[in-house]
Amino acid sequence: MKTLHIAFRNIFRNSRRSLMTILAITVSAVAVHLFGGYVANIVYGMQTNYVCDNGHLQVYQEGFFDYGAGNPAAYGISRYQDLIKLITQDPQLKDHITVATPILKFYGIAGNFKKDASKTFFGIGYVPSDLKKMRKWNDYNMKIRKSRLNRIVLSDDDIDGGIIGEGMARMLLLCEELNVKNCKGKLPEKSDQKPAATEDFSFLEESNGLNDIPESTDKRPRLDLLAATAAGAPNIVTMYVNNTEVQGVKALDDNYAAMHISLAQRLLYGKGEKKATGIVIQLRHTKDIPFVKARLEKLFDENRLNLEFKDYTQIVPMYRQVISFLFALFSFIATIMGVIVLFTIINTMTMSVMERVDEIGTIRALGLRRSGILGQFIAEGLLLGVLGATLGTVVSVIAVTGINSAGIMWTPPNYVDPVPLKIMVFLNPFLAPGCWLGLVLLAVASSIFPARKAGKMVIVDALRHV
Amino acid sequence: MNNSEFAVRLTDVKKKYLMGKVEVEALKGVSLQIPIKKFNVIIGPSGSGKTTLLNLLGCIDIPSSGCVEVCGQDIARLSDKQASDFRAENIGFIFQNFNLIPVLSAYENVEYPLLLMKKPAKERRELTLKMLHDVGLSSHKHHRPNELSGGQRQRVAIARALVKGPKLVLADEPTANLDSKTGQSIIDLMYKMQAESHTTFIFSSHDKQVMEHAEKVFEIHDGLLMEERGK
Ligand SMILES: Nc1ncnc2c1ncn2[C@@H]1O[C@H](COP(=O)(O)OP(=O)(O)OP(=O)(O)O)[C@@H](O)[C@H]1O
Ligand SMILES: [Mg+2]
Repeated sequence: MKTLHIAFRNIFRNSRRSLMTILAITVSAVAVHLFGGYVANIVYGMQTNYVCDNGHLQVYQEGFFDYGAGNPAAYGISRYQDLIKLITQDPQLKDHITVATPILKFYGIAGNFKKDASKTFFGIGYVPSDLKKMRKWNDYNMKIRKSRLNRIVLSDDDIDGGIIGEGMARMLLLCEELNVKNCKGKLPEKSDQKPAATEDFSFLEESNGLNDIPESTDKRPRLDLLAATAAGAPNIVTMYVNNTEVQGVKALDDNYAAMHISLAQRLLYGKGEKKATGIVIQLRHTKDIPFVKARLEKLFDENRLNLEFKDYTQIVPMYRQVISFLFALFSFIATIMGVIVLFTIINTMTMSVMERVDEIGTIRALGLRRSGILGQFIAEGLLLGVLGATLGTVVSVIAVTGINSAGIMWTPPNYVDPVPLKIMVFLNPFLAPGCWLGLVLLAVASSIFPARKAGKMVIVDALRHV
Repeated sequence: MNNSEFAVRLTDVKKKYLMGKVEVEALKGVSLQIPIKKFNVIIGPSGSGKTTLLNLLGCIDIPSSGCVEVCGQDIARLSDKQASDFRAENIGFIFQNFNLIPVLSAYENVEYPLLLMKKPAKERRELTLKMLHDVGLSSHKHHRPNELSGGQRQRVAIARALVKGPKLVLADEPTANLDSKTGQSIIDLMYKMQAESHTTFIFSSHDKQVMEHAEKVFEIHDGLLMEERGK
């Protein structure tokens, strides 16, 4: 039948009203697209941010995740190089993995003895070149500021080098040496009693005679790091601070000390076996996580390894919380838009039905069934929906292109540097088609009620209505 | 006479309307038989019940009591769906207000009943063009109703009513909205079309002038059949 054809012409009968209706749908589509694309940007941005630094999965000695923070050294993975080989050379896994690298996390006390300052720190040792490689991960084509990639990291041959948080540098009175900003605050009054940690405990150094080396030629600020070895004995090493790196969370920034893994191993294991507390695994694509997890499970089982692994959403619960929060916001906006569309279409279609009472009577008299009338008006709702949703998609693309190329900068939650605002409508493959389909279905649903009203009309009364 | 020779057979048909709480009896017990293939006229003053009667004959209404048989079919027994299909197949309507579908061209309006009957495209085209030619509107086939004069609109309506070759054509005061000259030409056209197609025509009017050529005339007054003339 020519139902759609007739519906199309009827829409343009009162073109102003139809246009307003279509625009209402368009605006809803644009709102949903823009907000959805913004949410996608935050979510995928957070993911990229995290995955660049911490990978997708981390493998630990069993129990580390729950108890490791109490005594990291005790949960060291021995012969971790073999484990990495096992993972990266597995025929099923090797194509999915970009980087698998050891890390060593621990706690200790850092002292700047020149200035009598010391404080506790959270230390992390990694392989500099591997981190550099991980930071290139950009599966979602996020616009990441160059500075992030170019950020000075350590180098593999600088085995005494380290990076500390800005807050940490401030508290260790390294403001001048490291060009730290915001160092204007008042320093604590010096008390007569020397803090315990400022005692020179160089004598603790396990390494044979490292201490005897004449004052190092290294010009970088020196920190002495004190920690308990795996065996429980105190140990100390010297770290030369390359630079500072602001951390997104102040608590971390005030305690952060990153270093070459071998320096951390020297501190924690002394002359004993060098271990790692975790293996960071970065995948080519996030969607491979379930597959890789299943394979790892099997691999560890077969090799009788007492290891556990966690993905990034398990390690950072906030990731999931942010997603559900944003999803709630998104649903809220989508619902409001949906209700507006619903009422607009019901209103338009009801008016259209009321204006065409005699026409309804006529075509019913000519022999169109009730269902035909129903179909006729639903077809009009459908067309309004299709036109509005399609126009909405087109306008969204234009708006998104405009916004994305406007170079607006913003700092997403948990970020350190501002990044260009990028609305990523098409990153989530379901957003645009889902929005389109949702609006069209909503338009159809909203026209059912007026259409039924039209279908139920008594022919004789409808014909008398002039 | 047997059944098949009557297009319509009414037996003691009553039709009541409720206006608020008042009951209005528009037909007060009408019994009549309308022969097939003739030009029948129902005449009566305004408010006498002509439209009410034609609505029953057109299967768009049912009687309050009595029996209405159209083409041998008791219309009260039809479901809404069946009545729709019955109308699509058997009945052509010509309305006082033309009632063309405004978004369709003259051609499309005439074609519409054939679409309802799901006729194939080729047949639709042939029938539609022939019909438009017969009513003298070949040159106006792409005009929308609002681009046609009243007389032209009613011609389109006549073509629309006849295109499917219905058993019964009902015209409820089809000239009431036309000036007398145009009205006369519409009446002439209907007589001509009826003569050619041998379709049963039922034409209602309050104007006695129109019944010159009528083969059969029914006169109703105040819901009652007063007189029946013709063969
Ligand atoms: N839906 C209705 N509700 C109430 N009363 C009605 C209704 N339809 C018709 N009537 C009444 O029934 C009577 C007959 O009406 P009808 O329309 O059949 O007359 P008519 O002969 O067609 O008149 P006209 O020549 O003016 O068209 C009138 O008194 C009218 O008021
Ligand atoms: Mg009337």
